Amino acid sequence: MADSGGVVLTGAPFEEAPYLPSRNASAYKPLHTFDLPKGADKHYGQQFADMYFLRLAELKTHVKQKAEEAWSDFTLGEEQAQYVDRVLDVRQGQLCWVVGTVYMEMGLKPNVLDDIAKEHWIAAPPPRETYMSAGGQDEMMLEDESGRLRVIGDGLRSQYVTGCILAALGTEQADGTFQVIATQYADLPRQPQRWERDDSQLVESQQPPAKRATAGKLAIVSGLEIAGTADDHLSLDLLMEYLTGEAGGPPDQFQRSSITRLVVAGNSLAHASPILSREDFMAKKSGKKHYGYDASAYNASPSEHLDLFFSEILPSLPITLLPGPSDPANVALPQQPLHPALFPQSRQYANPPVKSNESRQGLDSVTNPWEGDIEGWRILGTGGQTVEDLLKYVEEVDSIEVMEMMLRWRCIAPTAPDTLWCYPFQDDDPLMVRDCPHIYFAGNQRSFQTKVIAGPVDQKVLLISVPKFSQSKMLVLLDLETLEVETVDFSVVQPGGQA
Amino acid sequence: MSDTYKDYLAARILSDGKPVTYRLLSRAEKVNTHVAKQMLYEFHSKQNAKKPNSIHATYLLTGKKRIEEHNNGVHKKDGDDTFMHSSPYMSSMPEPEEPEPDESTPSTSIVLVREEELEVTKAEFEKITSIHIYSLEPGPLQNLNVLSVCNQEVATDYLGEDPLERWRLYGSIHNPSIKRRTAKFAPPPPAGVPKAASKPAQKVVSTATSKAKDTAAPARRGSASEDNTSGRSTPQLAPAAGSLKRSDSKPNLKRDKSDIFKSFAKTKPKQKEPTPAPVEDDPMLGMSEDEGDPEDVTETKIDEEKAAASRKARAEREEKLRQMMEEDDDEEMPDAPVTEDKDSQDAPVDKAPIAQPAESETVTVQGGRRRGRRRVMKKKTVKDEDGYLVTREEAAWESFSEEEPEPKRPKPAPAKSTNTAKGKKTGKSGQGSIASFFKKA
Repeated sequence: MADSGGVVLTGAPFEEAPYLPSRNASAYKPLHTFDLPKGADKHYGQQFADMYFLRLAELKTHVKQKAEEAWSDFTLGEEQAQYVDRVLDVRQGQLCWVVGTVYMEMGLKPNVLDDIAKEHWIAAPPPRETYMSAGGQDEMMLEDESGRLRVIGDGLRSQYVTGCILAALGTEQADGTFQVIATQYADLPRQPQRWERDDSQLVESQQPPAKRATAGKLAIVSGLEIAGTADDHLSLDLLMEYLTGEAGGPPDQFQRSSITRLVVAGNSLAHASPILSREDFMAKKSGKKHYGYDASAYNASPSEHLDLFFSEILPSLPITLLPGPSDPANVALPQQPLHPALFPQSRQYANPPVKSNESRQGLDSVTNPWEGDIEGWRILGTGGQTVEDLLKYVEEVDSIEVMEMMLRWRCIAPTAPDTLWCYPFQDDDPLMVRDCPHIYFAGNQRSFQTKVIAGPVDQKVLLISVPKFSQSKMLVLLDLETLEVETVDFSVVQPGGQA
Repeated sequence: MSDTYKDYLAARILSDGKPVTYRLLSRAEKVNTHVAKQMLYEFHSKQNAKKPNSIHATYLLTGKKRIEEHNNGVHKKDGDDTFMHSSPYMSSMPEPEEPEPDESTPSTSIVLVREEELEVTKAEFEKITSIHIYSLEPGPLQNLNVLSVCNQEVATDYLGEDPLERWRLYGSIHNPSIKRRTAKFAPPPPAGVPKAASKPAQKVVSTATSKAKDTAAPARRGSASEDNTSGRSTPQLAPAAGSLKRSDSKPNLKRDKSDIFKSFAKTKPKQKEPTPAPVEDDPMLGMSEDEGDPEDVTETKIDEEKAAASRKARAEREEKLRQMMEEDDDEEMPDAPVTEDKDSQDAPVDKAPIAQPAESETVTVQGGRRRGRRRVMKKKTVKDEDGYLVTREEAAWESFSEEEPEPKRPKPAPAKSTNTAKGKKTGKSGQGSIASFFKKA
């Protein structure tokens, strides 16, 4: 494509608009892994202990198997490593390995009892960037149904967080701590083939294999953080015009017609969470005192603007919308879909409630985390709070590495329910990774990063950490045929350099 | 293609002094955005040839920036592009993370720039794939953010058009697979747009989906309220018409104190009329109520007055409706103030089990504490066969004591509000002055 094709700097006579190809339908099959029961079937009165139990019960076999492969003929001196079933059965001086759940005791970890005791006396503590206490007194423990074992070892602390399931090889010291030599985790689970779900359906219904068109591109954006101020509107306009294909010259517009779906990965609205963040709370507290809900303080313009933004894009491009930590959804993971009542205009492109399970070319308001098949690839995405929270446990780790570890631990929210709000699952914990995705993205991260990780049986996962649009003005494009990633950034050169 | 665009641009830029983006021009002149971009260029060059610097332009560049430009702090001129490179986040990052995309990740940059900075910005690009005029304005903009008003105008002024047909006219990318539900109860435009109301209803796309069984004329957007009136089959609703919706949540405030309803109470500004109540029995998820009851009516009236400005056009009709509503509740309304008075002023008195027709309740007062039972409308939500949540109201008895604050009258007429104020005072102390008792009783 010649560069001159994109230069639209000519006057009369006006040339007609060049041909723009239509978008292909995006092959889109959402999974409803993270849907919670509706209404009265949702119970919050249960204990969280079941989640840890489930996690350990399910992952123990996998972790044990991995550990057996690695350590079955491991000897130290003359001693052969033994497997010990319960952490309390570890005998002093014996070289052995155990499987358990990690628990991190950390100085700055939020503690409900502390909060209650202190809230009355002092101002709320500042928001926590990390849970690690400065003196390094944080302790790591390994627990199972029987009890807890304090573990020590080099570099353990920067590798594991509360909630992940781990096999540890070592010996118990005289003081009762378990000196760890090596660790093992479950690693990536089985990965479905591309188009597996569709193909198996076709086989079941005895239809011939489908002929599939070349897949288009998937656009991912997160952290629009519409706050109702006029400042953010222009870059949103540019984004919208880019996606609808109006902005730019013909060659660029032409390329954009290959985008077949937009994923909005959380935090579409700023300051809209039903539970205020500490900063918002302080800001509100310092303001006027008001008993109960203050309707006059409600500002509808951010959600109206978001609705408008979506309704401009939707005639041209289907949207999958995940809620994020600052969106008006429930705060506990898994966050349930944003209510369509928030989008009076855009909801006309959404499925009516009764058909919400059908694939739809339009607005699909989904859960966070969300899992589904797009163009045959299994895609797992979150609004980013799981990564955010996990980063508080560790030092000098990138979000992309955290995302990798989550998949390898087979749990995308290990720190829930410890430091992350979470629904008390009883019989089944969907936050555990059972099918390895092909693409795993997390929204609202500090920077854009991608990484391809490989598993033990040739699983390949593309990890994408998507930055906040409000800060980076960045849109991520993922080619669903080649799994290549590119970015588009939007900027406005303000006079005098004032952003 | 006529030259009307020149008149439009001249009027808007030169006379009104407002900016115009290519998108707004394309909507105003009903031309493809591609043509609109050329029109802007034509107008810009012609006008500036006549009178230099009379018109000012911003450009939209698309292309690939030089790699080294991605690194922070190598700007040729400080401040020319801070917006993109040193977004506050990245520069203030505590950790030595790699703040920029991997070298291997291809990146496209879309930059909006004034003509003053155009050359400097162009120099930052390794390759520019397209460039066009984004907007014209009478003078150099001090803050480019004002351009966003153009898109807001697009959104509000050109709502009447079928969004699924936009691509044909304006050249956005067509997506044949997108379907739009026929908006049986389409919301009104986001801002007061009276002109949209005149849009003929038959323009509705015939994608009548599962809801085809409803005979109600499918109303869209602006015409919503009119069609709703006709579509509504529940008799008591008819008088309330489109305006009923606005008041729907207020009674909730009164009846049950669940926070979720409170939060809806005032949230929507007057013009919002969110998703009017569906015809028979499938209201949209708790947002609607099928009861037109007396309180609603008063509410509606108050709201109406406030919103009068935005709908002068419909004033007449509403006046009529209002009268009908008043007739409706003739037999009940007189009681409402009585309830109010009793509740507030009787508090210190020993016995007052008076049954109220409007909201029948029995009250006993012991030691300054009010106890009693009252009849309230309880909401019951069930899922119907279509999968919609249906909210019905059922009368139920509820006991209350003083901790449970009296159901608040949603700040009625000013005359009443003095009563409430008084009532609150007595309620708080538990022992009102005896004078206040004698005043009314």
